[in-house]
Amino acid sequence: MIVIKNASLRRIISRVVPYIAIPLIVAVGIFVFEEKRWAMVALGVAVCTVLLFLAGFDSGKTGSRRLILSAVLSALSVAGRFIPIFKPVTAITMIAGMWLGGEAGFLVGSMSALVSNIYFGHGPWTPFQMFAWGMIGLFSGYLSVPLRKSRIFLLIAGALAGGLYSMIMDIWTIMWYNGSMDLSLYAAAMVTALPHTIIYVLSNVIFLFILAGPIGEKLSRVKIKYGV
Amino acid sequence: MKTIADFNPIVQTLYFLSAALCSMLGMNPVMIVISLVGALLLYILRAEDEKPTGHLFTLLLFAVTALINPLFYHNGATVLLVINNNPITLEATLYGITAGAMIIAVLYHFRSFSKIMTSDRLMYVFGKLSGKFALTLSMTLRYIPLFITQMERVRAAQRTTGQYKDGSIADTVKSDLRVFSVMITWALENGIVTADSMEARGYGTGKRTSFALWRMRRRDVIFLLLILLLVGLQLPALLSGALTFTFYPNIRSLPTSPAAILAYISYGALVLTPSAIECIERAKWKYFVSKI
Repeated sequence: MIVIKNASLRRIISRVVPYIAIPLIVAVGIFVFEEKRWAMVALGVAVCTVLLFLAGFDSGKTGSRRLILSAVLSALSVAGRFIPIFKPVTAITMIAGMWLGGEAGFLVGSMSALVSNIYFGHGPWTPFQMFAWGMIGLFSGYLSVPLRKSRIFLLIAGALAGGLYSMIMDIWTIMWYNGSMDLSLYAAAMVTALPHTIIYVLSNVIFLFILAGPIGEKLSRVKIKYGV
Repeated sequence: MKTIADFNPIVQTLYFLSAALCSMLGMNPVMIVISLVGALLLYILRAEDEKPTGHLFTLLLFAVTALINPLFYHNGATVLLVINNNPITLEATLYGITAGAMIIAVLYHFRSFSKIMTSDRLMYVFGKLSGKFALTLSMTLRYIPLFITQMERVRAAQRTTGQYKDGSIADTVKSDLRVFSVMITWALENGIVTADSMEARGYGTGKRTSFALWRMRRRDVIFLLLILLLVGLQLPALLSGALTFTFYPNIRSLPTSPAAILAYISYGALVLTPSAIECIERAKWKYFVSKI
Protein backbone atom coordinates (compact mmCIF):
# COMPACT_ATOMS: atom_id res chain seq x y z
CA MET A 1 0.00 0.00 0.00
CA ILE A 2 1.36 3.38 -0.96
CA VAL A 3 -0.44 5.43 1.67
CA ILE A 4 0.97 5.20 5.19
CA LYS A 5 -1.51 3.68 7.63
CA ASN A 6 -3.56 6.13 9.58
CA ALA A 7 -1.76 7.02 12.80
CA SER A 8 1.65 7.97 11.41
CA LEU A 9 0.19 9.68 8.33
CA ARG A 10 -2.01 11.78 10.57
CA ARG A 11 0.94 12.81 12.70
CA ILE A 12 2.91 13.81 9.62
CA ILE A 13 0.02 15.82 8.19
CA SER A 14 -0.64 17.64 11.45
CA ARG A 15 3.02 18.68 11.65
CA VAL A 16 3.69 19.37 7.98
CA VAL A 17 0.53 21.22 6.94
CA PRO A 18 0.45 24.25 9.28
CA TYR A 19 4.21 24.83 9.54
CA ILE A 20 5.44 23.87 6.07
CA ALA A 21 2.68 23.36 3.49
CA ILE A 22 0.55 26.49 4.00
CA PRO A 23 3.51 28.95 4.21
CA LEU A 24 5.11 27.19 1.25
CA ILE A 25 1.95 27.50 -0.86
CA VAL A 26 1.68 31.20 -0.05
CA ALA A 27 5.38 31.80 -0.73
CA VAL A 28 5.26 29.92 -4.03
CA GLY A 29 2.15 31.88 -4.98
CA ILE A 30 3.85 35.20 -4.24
CA PHE A 31 7.37 34.68 -5.50
CA VAL A 32 7.48 31.90 -8.07
CA PHE A 33 4.50 32.42 -10.35
CA GLU A 34 4.99 35.40 -12.60
CA GLU A 35 1.44 36.60 -12.39
CA LYS A 36 0.01 36.13 -8.97
CA ARG A 37 -2.06 32.99 -9.10
CA TRP A 38 -4.22 33.63 -6.09
CA ALA A 39 -6.80 31.08 -7.15
CA MET A 40 -4.23 28.32 -6.70
CA VAL A 41 -3.03 29.76 -3.40
CA ALA A 42 -6.56 30.04 -2.06
CA LEU A 43 -7.49 26.54 -3.23
CA GLY A 44 -4.31 25.12 -1.71
CA VAL A 45 -4.92 26.81 1.62
CA ALA A 46 -8.57 25.67 1.70
CA VAL A 47 -7.58 22.06 0.95
CA CYS A 48 -4.83 22.18 3.59
CA THR A 49 -7.16 23.57 6.25
CA VAL A 50 -9.69 20.83 5.63
CA LEU A 51 -6.89 18.22 5.62
CA LEU A 52 -5.46 19.57 8.85
CA PHE A 53 -8.82 19.49 10.49
CA LEU A 54 -9.59 15.96 9.39
CA ALA A 55 -6.16 14.78 10.51
CA GLY A 56 -6.55 16.41 13.91
CA PHE A 57 -9.98 14.92 14.31
CA ASP A 58 -8.82 11.50 15.42
CA SER A 59 -6.34 12.72 17.97
CA GLY A 60 -8.85 14.95 19.71
CA LYS A 61 -11.24 13.44 22.22
CA THR A 62 -14.42 13.33 20.21
CA GLY A 63 -16.63 10.67 21.75
CA SER A 64 -18.51 8.33 19.47
CA ARG A 65 -21.87 9.75 20.61
CA ARG A 66 -20.95 13.26 19.57
CA LEU A 67 -19.61 11.84 16.32
CA ILE A 68 -22.89 10.11 15.54
CA LEU A 69 -24.96 13.14 16.44
CA SER A 70 -22.80 15.02 13.91
CA ALA A 71 -23.57 12.36 11.31
CA VAL A 72 -27.30 12.69 12.06
CA LEU A 73 -27.22 16.47 11.63
CA SER A 74 -25.13 16.18 8.44
CA ALA A 75 -27.67 13.78 6.98
CA LEU A 76 -30.47 16.19 7.88
CA SER A 77 -28.73 19.10 6.18
CA VAL A 78 -27.87 17.04 3.09
CA ALA A 79 -31.51 16.01 2.84
CA GLY A 80 -32.42 19.67 3.35
CA ARG A 81 -30.35 20.69 0.33
CA PHE A 82 -33.00 19.03 -1.82
CA ILE A 83 -35.62 21.55 -0.67
CA PRO A 84 -36.11 23.87 -3.65
CA ILE A 85 -34.70 27.40 -3.33
CA PHE A 86 -34.39 27.58 0.48
CA LYS A 87 -31.44 25.62 1.84
CA PRO A 88 -31.06 24.89 5.56
CA VAL A 89 -27.41 23.76 5.38
CA THR A 90 -25.88 26.86 6.98
CA ALA A 91 -28.57 26.97 9.67
CA ILE A 92 -28.09 23.32 10.66
CA THR A 93 -24.30 23.76 10.62
CA MET A 94 -24.63 26.70 13.00
CA ILE A 95 -26.97 24.74 15.27
CA ALA A 96 -24.46 21.87 15.35
CA GLY A 97 -21.65 24.26 16.25
CA MET A 98 -23.71 25.91 18.97
CA TRP A 99 -24.78 22.76 20.79
CA LEU A 100 -22.11 20.18 19.97
CA GLY A 101 -19.04 22.42 19.88
CA GLY A 102 -16.94 23.98 17.14
CA GLU A 103 -15.26 20.77 16.06
CA ALA A 104 -18.59 19.05 15.45
CA GLY A 105 -19.79 22.20 13.68
CA PHE A 106 -16.82 22.09 11.32
CA LEU A 107 -17.47 18.40 10.71
CA VAL A 108 -21.17 18.90 9.97
CA GLY A 109 -20.48 21.81 7.62
CA SER A 110 -17.73 20.15 5.62
CA MET A 111 -19.51 16.79 5.61
CA SER A 112 -22.70 18.37 4.25
CA ALA A 113 -20.75 19.95 1.41
CA LEU A 114 -18.87 16.74 0.60
CA VAL A 115 -21.88 14.41 0.72
CA SER A 116 -24.39 16.68 -0.97
CA ASN A 117 -21.92 17.22 -3.83
CA ILE A 118 -22.15 13.49 -4.54
CA TYR A 119 -25.64 14.39 -5.73
CA PHE A 120 -25.03 17.95 -6.94
CA GLY A 121 -21.65 17.35 -8.61
CA HIS A 122 -18.11 17.77 -7.36
CA GLY A 123 -15.86 20.50 -8.68
CA PRO A 124 -13.02 22.76 -7.68
CA TRP A 125 -15.62 24.49 -5.51
CA THR A 126 -15.99 21.44 -3.20
CA PRO A 127 -12.98 22.28 -0.95
CA PHE A 128 -14.17 25.87 -0.80
CA GLN A 129 -17.67 24.90 0.27
CA MET A 130 -16.20 22.50 2.82
CA PHE A 131 -13.98 25.31 4.06
CA ALA A 132 -16.69 28.00 4.15
CA TRP A 133 -19.36 25.87 5.85
CA GLY A 134 -16.78 24.30 8.15
CA MET A 135 -15.58 27.71 9.31
CA ILE A 136 -19.18 28.84 9.93
CA GLY A 137 -19.67 25.75 12.13
CA LEU A 138 -16.37 26.33 13.93
CA PHE A 139 -17.13 29.98 14.72
CA SER A 140 -20.65 29.26 15.89
CA GLY A 141 -18.99 26.83 18.29
CA TYR A 142 -16.73 29.61 19.58
CA LEU A 143 -19.67 31.98 19.91
CA SER A 144 -22.04 29.36 21.32
CA VAL A 145 -22.72 31.13 24.64
CA PRO A 146 -23.99 34.48 23.27
CA LEU A 147 -25.69 32.71 20.34
CA ARG A 148 -27.68 30.50 22.67
CA LYS A 149 -28.51 33.34 25.01
CA SER A 150 -29.90 35.91 22.59
CA ARG A 151 -32.26 35.05 19.79
CA ILE A 152 -31.79 38.42 18.09
CA PHE A 153 -28.00 37.93 18.05
CA LEU A 154 -28.51 34.43 16.63
CA LEU A 155 -30.66 35.71 13.76
CA ILE A 156 -28.21 38.54 12.99
CA ALA A 157 -25.30 36.08 13.06
CA GLY A 158 -27.30 33.76 10.80
CA ALA A 159 -27.91 36.55 8.30
CA LEU A 160 -24.20 37.47 8.39
CA ALA A 161 -23.13 33.84 7.94
CA GLY A 162 -25.45 33.44 4.96
CA GLY A 163 -24.11 36.59 3.34
CA LEU A 164 -20.53 35.67 4.18
CA TYR A 165 -20.89 32.22 2.65
CA SER A 166 -22.19 33.72 -0.56
CA MET A 167 -19.38 36.29 -0.60
CA ILE A 168 -16.67 33.69 0.01
CA MET A 169 -18.00 31.62 -2.87
CA ASP A 170 -18.08 34.75 -5.08
CA ILE A 171 -14.44 35.48 -4.24
CA TRP A 172 -13.60 31.94 -5.27
CA THR A 173 -15.57 32.22 -8.53
CA ILE A 174 -13.70 35.39 -9.48
CA MET A 175 -10.31 33.95 -8.56
CA TRP A 176 -11.04 30.85 -10.57
CA TYR A 177 -12.13 32.92 -13.56
CA ASN A 178 -9.50 35.61 -13.41
CA GLY A 179 -6.56 33.95 -11.66
CA SER A 180 -6.38 36.79 -9.18
CA MET A 181 -8.72 39.08 -7.34
CA ASP A 182 -10.25 41.85 -9.42
CA LEU A 183 -12.54 44.31 -7.70
CA SER A 184 -14.63 45.38 -10.71
CA LEU A 185 -15.30 41.73 -11.63
CA TYR A 186 -16.05 40.99 -7.98
CA ALA A 187 -18.57 43.81 -7.90
CA ALA A 188 -20.16 42.42 -11.06
CA ALA A 189 -20.31 38.94 -9.53
CA MET A 190 -21.82 40.31 -6.33
CA VAL A 191 -24.50 42.11 -8.31
CA THR A 192 -25.36 39.04 -10.39
CA ALA A 193 -25.33 36.86 -7.28
CA LEU A 194 -27.45 39.31 -5.28
CA PRO A 195 -30.71 37.31 -5.60
CA HIS A 196 -28.85 34.20 -4.39
CA THR A 197 -27.25 36.10 -1.53
CA ILE A 198 -30.64 37.46 -0.46
CA ILE A 199 -32.12 33.96 -0.60
CA TYR A 200 -29.19 32.60 1.45
CA VAL A 201 -29.63 35.27 4.09
CA LEU A 202 -33.41 34.88 4.17
CA SER A 203 -33.43 31.09 4.28
CA ASN A 204 -30.81 31.16 7.01
CA VAL A 205 -32.83 33.53 9.15
CA ILE A 206 -36.06 31.61 8.51
CA PHE A 207 -34.55 28.20 9.27
CA LEU A 208 -32.75 29.47 12.36
CA PHE A 209 -35.99 31.07 13.52
CA ILE A 210 -37.94 27.83 13.05
CA LEU A 211 -35.29 25.22 13.88
CA ALA A 212 -32.85 26.69 16.41
CA GLY A 213 -35.27 26.48 19.33
CA PRO A 214 -36.72 22.97 18.79
CA ILE A 215 -33.51 21.28 17.58
CA GLY A 216 -31.52 22.97 20.32
CA GLU A 217 -34.00 21.80 22.91
CA LYS A 218 -33.85 18.24 21.60
CA LEU A 219 -30.06 18.29 21.42
CA SER A 220 -29.66 19.59 24.96
CA ARG A 221 -32.19 17.02 26.17
CA VAL A 222 -30.23 14.22 24.52
CA LYS A 223 -27.02 15.66 25.96
CA ILE A 224 -28.43 15.69 29.49
CA LYS A 225 -30.15 12.33 29.16
CA TYR A 226 -27.13 10.46 27.81
CA GLY A 227 -24.29 12.71 28.95
CA VAL A 228 -22.67 13.40 25.60
CA MET B 1 -13.05 -4.15 -19.34
CA LYS B 2 -10.53 -2.40 -17.15
CA THR B 3 -10.93 1.30 -17.82
CA ILE B 4 -10.30 4.46 -15.80
CA ALA B 5 -13.42 3.63 -13.78
CA ASP B 6 -11.75 0.47 -12.45
CA PHE B 7 -8.52 1.97 -11.18
CA ASN B 8 -7.73 2.47 -7.51
CA PRO B 9 -9.68 5.52 -6.21
CA ILE B 10 -6.52 7.27 -5.03
CA VAL B 11 -5.05 7.04 -8.52
CA GLN B 12 -8.31 8.30 -10.03
CA THR B 13 -8.45 11.27 -7.66
CA LEU B 14 -4.84 12.13 -8.45
CA TYR B 15 -5.51 11.92 -12.20
CA PHE B 16 -8.55 14.18 -12.19
CA LEU B 17 -6.98 16.70 -9.82
CA SER B 18 -3.82 16.99 -11.89
CA ALA B 19 -5.75 17.10 -15.18
CA ALA B 20 -7.94 19.94 -13.89
CA LEU B 21 -5.29 21.90 -11.99
CA CYS B 22 -2.68 21.91 -14.77
CA SER B 23 -5.10 23.63 -17.13
CA MET B 24 -6.08 26.18 -14.48
CA LEU B 25 -2.49 27.36 -14.08
CA GLY B 26 -1.12 29.85 -16.55
CA MET B 27 -4.29 30.59 -18.55
CA ASN B 28 -2.58 29.33 -21.68
CA PRO B 29 -4.90 28.81 -24.68
CA VAL B 30 -3.05 25.72 -25.94
CA MET B 31 -3.21 24.00 -22.55
CA ILE B 32 -6.89 24.88 -22.22
CA VAL B 33 -7.77 23.53 -25.67
CA ILE B 34 -5.90 20.29 -24.89
CA SER B 35 -7.69 20.09 -21.55
CA LEU B 36 -11.10 20.68 -23.13
CA VAL B 37 -10.51 18.07 -25.85
CA GLY B 38 -9.32 15.47 -23.35
CA ALA B 39 -12.12 16.14 -20.87
CA LEU B 40 -14.87 16.13 -23.51
CA LEU B 41 -13.53 12.98 -25.17
CA LEU B 42 -13.50 11.02 -21.91
CA TYR B 43 -16.89 12.36 -20.86
CA ILE B 44 -18.55 11.49 -24.16
CA LEU B 45 -16.89 8.06 -24.29
CA ARG B 46 -18.08 7.25 -20.79
CA ALA B 47 -21.57 8.74 -20.88
CA GLU B 48 -23.33 7.42 -23.95
CA ASP B 49 -26.85 7.80 -22.61
CA GLU B 50 -26.32 11.43 -21.61
CA LYS B 51 -29.12 13.78 -22.64
CA PRO B 52 -28.01 16.75 -24.77
CA THR B 53 -29.44 19.19 -22.20
CA GLY B 54 -26.34 18.69 -20.04
CA HIS B 55 -24.14 19.99 -22.84
CA LEU B 56 -26.58 22.82 -23.46
CA PHE B 57 -26.05 24.03 -19.90
CA THR B 58 -22.26 24.10 -20.28
CA LEU B 59 -22.63 25.92 -23.61
CA LEU B 60 -24.76 28.56 -21.89
CA LEU B 61 -22.26 28.84 -19.06
CA PHE B 62 -19.47 29.27 -21.60
CA ALA B 63 -21.39 32.08 -23.33
CA VAL B 64 -22.01 33.90 -20.04
CA THR B 65 -18.45 33.58 -18.74
CA ALA B 66 -17.02 34.61 -22.11
CA LEU B 67 -19.23 37.72 -22.23
CA ILE B 68 -18.75 38.89 -18.62
CA ASN B 69 -15.08 39.77 -19.03
CA PRO B 70 -15.28 42.24 -21.96
CA LEU B 71 -18.39 43.85 -20.45
CA PHE B 72 -16.79 44.58 -17.08
CA TYR B 73 -13.08 44.72 -17.83
CA HIS B 74 -11.82 47.42 -20.15
CA ASN B 75 -8.07 46.91 -20.40
CA GLY B 76 -6.47 46.16 -23.75
CA ALA B 77 -5.23 48.21 -26.66
CA THR B 78 -7.57 47.20 -29.51
CA VAL B 79 -10.98 48.79 -29.05
CA LEU B 80 -13.72 46.99 -30.95
CA LEU B 81 -16.70 49.15 -30.02
CA VAL B 82 -17.84 51.56 -27.31
CA ILE B 83 -20.96 51.01 -25.22
CA ASN B 84 -21.98 53.74 -22.74
CA ASN B 85 -18.46 55.23 -22.82
CA ASN B 86 -17.02 51.82 -21.91
CA PRO B 87 -14.68 50.39 -24.51
CA ILE B 88 -15.11 46.73 -25.44
CA THR B 89 -11.63 45.50 -26.33
CA LEU B 90 -10.43 42.58 -28.42
CA GLU B 91 -8.02 41.48 -25.68
CA ALA B 92 -10.67 41.36 -22.97
CA THR B 93 -12.99 39.42 -25.30
CA LEU B 94 -10.30 36.84 -26.06
CA TYR B 95 -9.48 36.57 -22.37
CA GLY B 96 -13.15 35.96 -21.63
CA ILE B 97 -13.34 33.19 -24.24
CA THR B 98 -10.18 31.55 -22.87
CA ALA B 99 -11.39 31.76 -19.27
CA GLY B 100 -14.83 30.41 -20.27
CA ALA B 101 -13.22 27.49 -22.10
CA MET B 102 -11.04 26.80 -19.04
CA ILE B 103 -14.06 26.75 -16.77
CA ILE B 104 -16.07 24.32 -18.90
CA ALA B 105 -12.98 22.13 -19.40
CA VAL B 106 -12.56 21.86 -15.62
CA LEU B 107 -16.29 21.28 -15.32
CA TYR B 108 -16.14 18.34 -17.73
CA HIS B 109 -13.14 16.84 -15.89
CA PHE B 110 -15.09 17.01 -12.65
CA ARG B 111 -18.26 15.64 -14.24
CA SER B 112 -16.38 12.50 -15.22
CA PHE B 113 -14.85 12.49 -11.74
CA SER B 114 -18.28 12.73 -10.07
CA LYS B 115 -19.60 9.85 -12.16
CA ILE B 116 -16.65 7.61 -11.34
CA MET B 117 -16.27 8.59 -7.67
CA THR B 118 -19.09 6.67 -6.07
CA SER B 119 -19.61 7.09 -2.34
CA ASP B 120 -17.65 3.94 -1.44
CA ARG B 121 -14.67 5.22 -3.42
CA LEU B 122 -14.90 8.59 -1.71
CA MET B 123 -14.96 6.83 1.64
CA TYR B 124 -11.86 4.83 0.71
CA VAL B 125 -9.93 8.01 -0.10
CA PHE B 126 -11.03 9.82 3.06
CA GLY B 127 -10.62 6.72 5.21
CA LYS B 128 -6.90 6.86 4.46
CA LEU B 129 -6.88 10.33 5.95
CA SER B 130 -9.04 9.99 9.03
CA GLY B 131 -10.88 6.94 10.29
CA LYS B 132 -13.46 8.95 12.19
CA PHE B 133 -14.21 11.19 9.24
CA ALA B 134 -14.76 8.15 7.04
CA LEU B 135 -17.03 6.63 9.68
CA THR B 136 -19.07 9.81 9.92
CA LEU B 137 -19.20 9.95 6.13
CA SER B 138 -20.50 6.40 5.85
CA MET B 139 -23.09 6.99 8.58
CA THR B 140 -24.30 10.18 6.91
CA LEU B 141 -24.70 8.31 3.65
CA ARG B 142 -26.62 5.55 5.38
CA TYR B 143 -28.86 7.94 7.32
CA ILE B 144 -30.26 9.66 4.24
CA PRO B 145 -32.29 6.68 2.92
CA LEU B 146 -33.04 5.58 6.49
CA PHE B 147 -34.55 8.97 7.31
CA ILE B 148 -36.68 8.90 4.17
CA THR B 149 -38.14 5.48 5.07
CA GLN B 150 -38.72 6.48 8.68
CA MET B 151 -40.31 9.78 7.61
CA GLU B 152 -42.89 7.82 5.57
CA ARG B 153 -43.68 5.70 8.62
CA VAL B 154 -44.06 8.69 10.92
CA ARG B 155 -46.23 10.41 8.35
CA ALA B 156 -48.51 7.39 8.08
CA ALA B 157 -48.82 7.21 11.86
CA GLN B 158 -49.49 10.95 12.16
CA ARG B 159 -52.21 10.71 9.54
CA THR B 160 -54.21 8.42 11.82
CA THR B 161 -54.05 11.07 14.57
CA GLY B 162 -55.80 13.57 12.33
CA GLN B 163 -52.87 15.38 10.73
CA TYR B 164 -52.97 16.26 7.00
CA LYS B 165 -56.77 16.10 7.05
CA ASP B 166 -58.06 19.22 5.32
CA GLY B 167 -55.41 19.36 2.58
CA SER B 168 -54.88 23.13 2.73
CA ILE B 169 -51.33 24.44 2.40
CA ALA B 170 -51.25 25.78 5.96
CA ASP B 171 -52.38 22.44 7.35
CA THR B 172 -49.83 20.52 5.26
CA VAL B 173 -46.98 22.79 6.40
CA LYS B 174 -48.07 22.48 10.03
CA SER B 175 -48.25 18.70 9.75
CA ASP B 176 -44.90 18.57 7.91
CA LEU B 177 -43.25 20.54 10.70
CA ARG B 178 -44.71 18.15 13.26
CA VAL B 179 -43.40 15.14 11.33
CA PHE B 180 -39.99 16.82 10.97
CA SER B 181 -39.87 17.48 14.70
CA VAL B 182 -40.69 13.85 15.45
CA MET B 183 -38.04 12.81 12.96
CA ILE B 184 -35.31 14.85 14.64
CA THR B 185 -36.08 13.35 18.05
CA TRP B 186 -36.15 9.87 16.57
CA ALA B 187 -32.91 10.40 14.63
CA LEU B 188 -31.01 11.71 17.66
CA GLU B 189 -32.22 8.90 19.92
CA ASN B 190 -31.52 6.34 17.22
CA GLY B 191 -28.03 7.77 16.82
CA ILE B 192 -27.33 7.43 20.55
CA VAL B 193 -28.51 3.81 20.46
CA THR B 194 -26.17 3.17 17.54
CA ALA B 195 -23.28 4.78 19.44
CA ASP B 196 -23.96 2.66 22.53
CA SER B 197 -24.19 -0.46 20.43
CA MET B 198 -20.88 0.36 18.76
CA GLU B 199 -19.16 1.01 22.06
CA ALA B 200 -20.56 -2.21 23.52
CA ARG B 201 -18.91 -4.04 20.64
CA GLY B 202 -15.58 -2.43 21.38
CA TYR B 203 -15.46 0.54 19.04
CA GLY B 204 -12.50 2.75 19.83
CA THR B 205 -10.69 0.22 22.00
CA GLY B 206 -8.21 -0.92 19.42
CA LYS B 207 -6.93 -0.29 15.96
CA ARG B 208 -9.67 -0.21 13.38
CA THR B 209 -9.36 -2.15 10.16
CA SER B 210 -11.52 -1.52 7.16
CA PHE B 211 -12.49 -3.48 4.13
CA ALA B 212 -12.11 -2.01 0.67
CA LEU B 213 -12.53 -3.48 -2.76
CA TRP B 214 -9.35 -1.90 -4.05
CA ARG B 215 -5.70 -2.79 -3.81
CA MET B 216 -2.75 -1.16 -5.51
CA ARG B 217 -2.49 -3.46 -8.49
CA ARG B 218 0.26 -3.36 -11.05
CA ARG B 219 -1.77 -1.26 -13.48
CA ASP B 220 -2.58 1.23 -10.70
CA VAL B 221 1.11 1.66 -9.90
CA ILE B 222 1.97 2.05 -13.59
CA PHE B 223 -0.75 4.66 -14.11
CA LEU B 224 0.29 6.45 -10.91
CA LEU B 225 3.92 6.63 -12.02
CA LEU B 226 2.81 7.82 -15.46
CA ILE B 227 0.75 10.63 -13.89
CA LEU B 228 3.68 11.69 -11.69
CA LEU B 229 6.09 11.60 -14.64
CA LEU B 230 3.83 13.61 -16.95
CA VAL B 231 3.02 16.20 -14.28
CA GLY B 232 6.71 16.39 -13.38
CA LEU B 233 7.58 17.15 -17.01
CA GLN B 234 5.17 20.10 -16.95
CA LEU B 235 6.42 21.53 -13.68
CA PRO B 236 9.42 23.48 -15.07
CA ALA B 237 7.15 25.30 -17.52
CA LEU B 238 4.34 25.82 -15.01
CA LEU B 239 6.59 27.16 -12.27
CA SER B 240 8.93 29.30 -14.37
CA GLY B 241 6.01 31.04 -16.06
CA ALA B 242 7.10 29.78 -19.50
CA LEU B 243 3.44 29.00 -20.18
CA THR B 244 2.11 32.39 -19.19
CA PHE B 245 0.25 33.96 -22.06
CA THR B 246 0.04 37.74 -22.06
CA PHE B 247 -3.35 39.20 -22.95
CA TYR B 248 -2.95 42.82 -21.82
CA PRO B 249 -2.29 45.36 -23.23
CA ASN B 250 -1.50 43.50 -26.47
CA ILE B 251 -1.78 39.82 -27.26
CA ARG B 252 1.64 38.27 -27.72
CA SER B 253 2.34 35.16 -29.74
CA LEU B 254 1.86 31.78 -28.06
CA PRO B 255 4.72 30.63 -25.82
CA THR B 256 6.86 28.18 -27.78
CA SER B 257 9.97 27.74 -25.64
CA PRO B 258 11.25 24.14 -25.34
CA ALA B 259 9.85 23.91 -21.79
CA ALA B 260 6.42 25.05 -23.03
CA ILE B 261 6.42 22.53 -25.92
CA LEU B 262 7.38 19.78 -23.49
CA ALA B 263 4.51 20.83 -21.22
CA TYR B 264 2.01 20.77 -24.12
CA ILE B 265 3.08 17.28 -25.16
CA SER B 266 3.14 15.80 -21.66
CA TYR B 267 -0.18 17.41 -20.69
CA GLY B 268 -1.73 16.14 -23.92
CA ALA B 269 -0.44 12.65 -23.14
CA LEU B 270 -1.86 12.92 -19.60
CA VAL B 271 -5.41 13.92 -20.52
CA LEU B 272 -5.64 11.57 -23.50
CA THR B 273 -4.42 8.45 -21.66
CA PRO B 274 -7.79 7.52 -20.05
CA SER B 275 -9.64 7.89 -23.37
CA ALA B 276 -6.94 5.81 -25.08
CA ILE B 277 -7.25 3.08 -22.43
CA GLU B 278 -11.02 3.17 -22.87
CA CYS B 279 -10.77 2.77 -26.66
CA ILE B 280 -8.15 0.00 -26.48
CA GLU B 281 -10.19 -1.96 -23.96
CA ARG B 282 -13.32 -1.61 -26.05
CA ALA B 283 -11.49 -2.82 -29.15
CA LYS B 284 -10.12 -5.77 -27.18
CA TRP B 285 -13.61 -6.59 -25.93
CA LYS B 286 -15.04 -6.44 -29.42
CA TYR B 287 -12.34 -8.27 -31.37
CA PHE B 288 -11.23 -10.82 -28.84
CA VAL B 289 -11.15 -14.23 -30.48
CA SER B 290 -11.17 -17.37 -28.40
CA LYS B 291 -8.12 -19.53 -29.08
CA ILE B 292 -9.66 -22.71 -27.76
